Amino acid sequence: MRTRSDWRGDYLDGRTAHLRPAELRLMATGIEVTVEGQTTFWPYLELRQTQGRYAGEDVRLERGGELSEAVIVRDRDFLVSLRQVAPGLGGRLYEPGQRSLRLGLTVAAGVAVIALGVAIYLWGIPLFARAVAAQVPVAWEEQLGAAVVREVAPPKGRCTDPARQQRIEAVVSRLAAALPASVPYRFRVLVDSEDAVNAMAAPGGFIVVFRGLLDRTDSAEELAGVLAHEMQHVVHRHVTRMIVQHASTGLLLAAVTGDVTGVMAYGLESARVLGALQYGRRAEEEADRDGLRMLLAAGIDPGGMIGFFEKLASKEKAAGPTLPRYLSSHPLLGERIARLKALASARPPAPPARLLADYDWTDVRRICAGAPPR
Amino acid sequence: MGDEGTTPPSRPSFFKRPSLEPEPARPTAPPSPPEHAAPSYRPAPRGPVIPPPPPPPTLPAPGSGGFDPYAQALPRTRTRLLFHGTGGSLFGIHVVNVLLTLVTLGVYYFWAKTRVRVYLMSQTELEGSRFAWHGNGRELFWGFLKACGVFGVPTVLLIAIRDLLDVPAELKYVAGILVPLVFVVVLPLAMVGARRYRLSRISWRGIRFSFRGRAADFVKLFILGSLLSSLSFGLYYPIFEVRRHQFMTEHSWFGNRRFRFDGRGIDLFWPFLVVVLLALPTFGLVLLWYLARKRRYLWDHTLAGEARFRCTVTAFGLFLLYAGNLLLLVLTLGLAWPWAKVRSVRFLLRHLSIEGPLHLDEIQQDARAGSATGEGLAGFFGAGTGFDFG
Repeated sequence: MRTRSDWRGDYLDGRTAHLRPAELRLMATGIEVTVEGQTTFWPYLELRQTQGRYAGEDVRLERGGELSEAVIVRDRDFLVSLRQVAPGLGGRLYEPGQRSLRLGLTVAAGVAVIALGVAIYLWGIPLFARAVAAQVPVAWEEQLGAAVVREVAPPKGRCTDPARQQRIEAVVSRLAAALPASVPYRFRVLVDSEDAVNAMAAPGGFIVVFRGLLDRTDSAEELAGVLAHEMQHVVHRHVTRMIVQHASTGLLLAAVTGDVTGVMAYGLESARVLGALQYGRRAEEEADRDGLRMLLAAGIDPGGMIGFFEKLASKEKAAGPTLPRYLSSHPLLGERIARLKALASARPPAPPARLLADYDWTDVRRICAGAPPR
Repeated sequence: MGDEGTTPPSRPSFFKRPSLEPEPARPTAPPSPPEHAAPSYRPAPRGPVIPPPPPPPTLPAPGSGGFDPYAQALPRTRTRLLFHGTGGSLFGIHVVNVLLTLVTLGVYYFWAKTRVRVYLMSQTELEGSRFAWHGNGRELFWGFLKACGVFGVPTVLLIAIRDLLDVPAELKYVAGILVPLVFVVVLPLAMVGARRYRLSRISWRGIRFSFRGRAADFVKLFILGSLLSSLSFGLYYPIFEVRRHQFMTEHSWFGNRRFRFDGRGIDLFWPFLVVVLLALPTFGLVLLWYLARKRRYLWDHTLAGEARFRCTVTAFGLFLLYAGNLLLLVLTLGLAWPWAKVRSVRFLLRHLSIEGPLHLDEIQQDARAGSATGEGLAGFFGAGTGFDFG
């Protein structure tokens, strides 16, 4: 393009909102600005360009301190001419010629952000959470766990028949014996009288088994499978890790999204929950895998665990369609069973002695007979 | 970085779109001198509609040359704020911001925030001139550090004494009383501070905005309002909200011109009562109606000189905006934030206009300082001040 040295613009004096027309002449070391017949010289080295980087945006050059004078040129070709007249300005002014370079860098940054974000989410945060959770004293975990258990299974709803409780504890100690001696937890299993087919682990070694689940176990091996899974949650400190992961995911999302307020914050919160679900499924898989290994190490038939899951699966199928995988906190039962079977068959089945062979397991279900139904 | 495509040199893109509103005639505008009618220099009329000041002979009257399709339409003067930003451009800025924020473990956040504000302000136009943002990342960073020192650390310490540390019970008791007290004082301080900072960094045609309310007055208003709200089981809340808004508005200035507010809190009381009564049967949707009603009320009672703001937000409009943004963010795990932001700003400005003469020629520079500490404090609360643009 032909270099043009004379331009028209508007002048703002920094004292009034008055736009006054200005004539600009580009010189080697600065711009001659003529406003209402008066000409001043604006050296390039005193100029700041504060606007004019985007299409449709006027070029704005400021000069002076905090409350500066400014000239505004509406034609962005002004920048091209400016470059030609004074090529040595470096980064002080926007360089239109480097637009495609900037665009390329931006795209590269986008790719890097996605790669970095995914890496942080998939590996960075879980590793960080594991490292932090390992530093949390067991006493703190026990405090937290006790509070959780009080909330989930209040003492008056618990089933405490001592003879049957002992049978359950026999299963627990058989499993715990298979753990390395370095595991610092003391496991306490509580049976709650609520009719839910569920069990949960709280930090610090607490495991709550709900009556509904206990009622559906037909052998000690089946309960051992459930307990092994829950004990692995405790050993892996999954809840503590989840808390750290939740906080870190929040920070990551805040970084990815900039500032979010009001209703948009809810959108983010849902994204965060979806992210947390993925971590939850991973934790479940870990607990399944290591739970099954623990069964094998303790010499307990893993068929009980697999059989119990299959029982749940057939019931689930009868109940109707399930949530898609990415919307669930647990992996799909079918997948879990397949994975467990693969793991169990990888090891040659040692002839397992039956667990609590001299005990009629169905008797354990009467543990809640004395407790008030809830 | 990440800028938009270049437009044909003689026609910057924002000239293409005339304002959606019918424009009034500009009887006082003299024909512009022929040398200014060149297409590269103010070729066509746009939204602005204020009769320009009697110009010196060389001053071209805005929009007076060329074809004006709306001439002789309405006698009333109405001014609009136009937003020219696009999600794509903002995404370009945003993506670099995110990368640098992640790489610097969050330190770049303050510079990132500034870059977004510069963009949003520069893309907002009134009367043919763009706004400008004059803040910088360094001052935000220091503001944050200062806010940590005077508020963050002491508060964390108090909470630790109350909940975690092994100290005598009396000390725990004292800390337990102090914690909510600190919040009730610091929250209004943060709101005032953030507004003072933000307004002091915005300019239009070189003239700065400013906020001149005394922090102590707002703290008093805030504590009293909170007390009355809880004593009246929330019934005082709408009045409290209007009072707060009134304080914020009436101490805001543009150059040497003060904004005014002539609303009364009692006017929002009945709508608020309707919301309380209908919240459950409508699954909370009536809240949108109230939000729209409140926004309209607050703007419609805000004045700049003789000119009055007009807001046309509707509940349905808000619903579409919020639902759309929610969907955008959830589906992209937050990555579509720039588009959501642009949608919000566009929505806000589309429903806002100023009616009446602005007399912009009378405005003189009268800037006030504003430190970024209040902005740093507000960061702890996510406190909105009504003027947050980014």
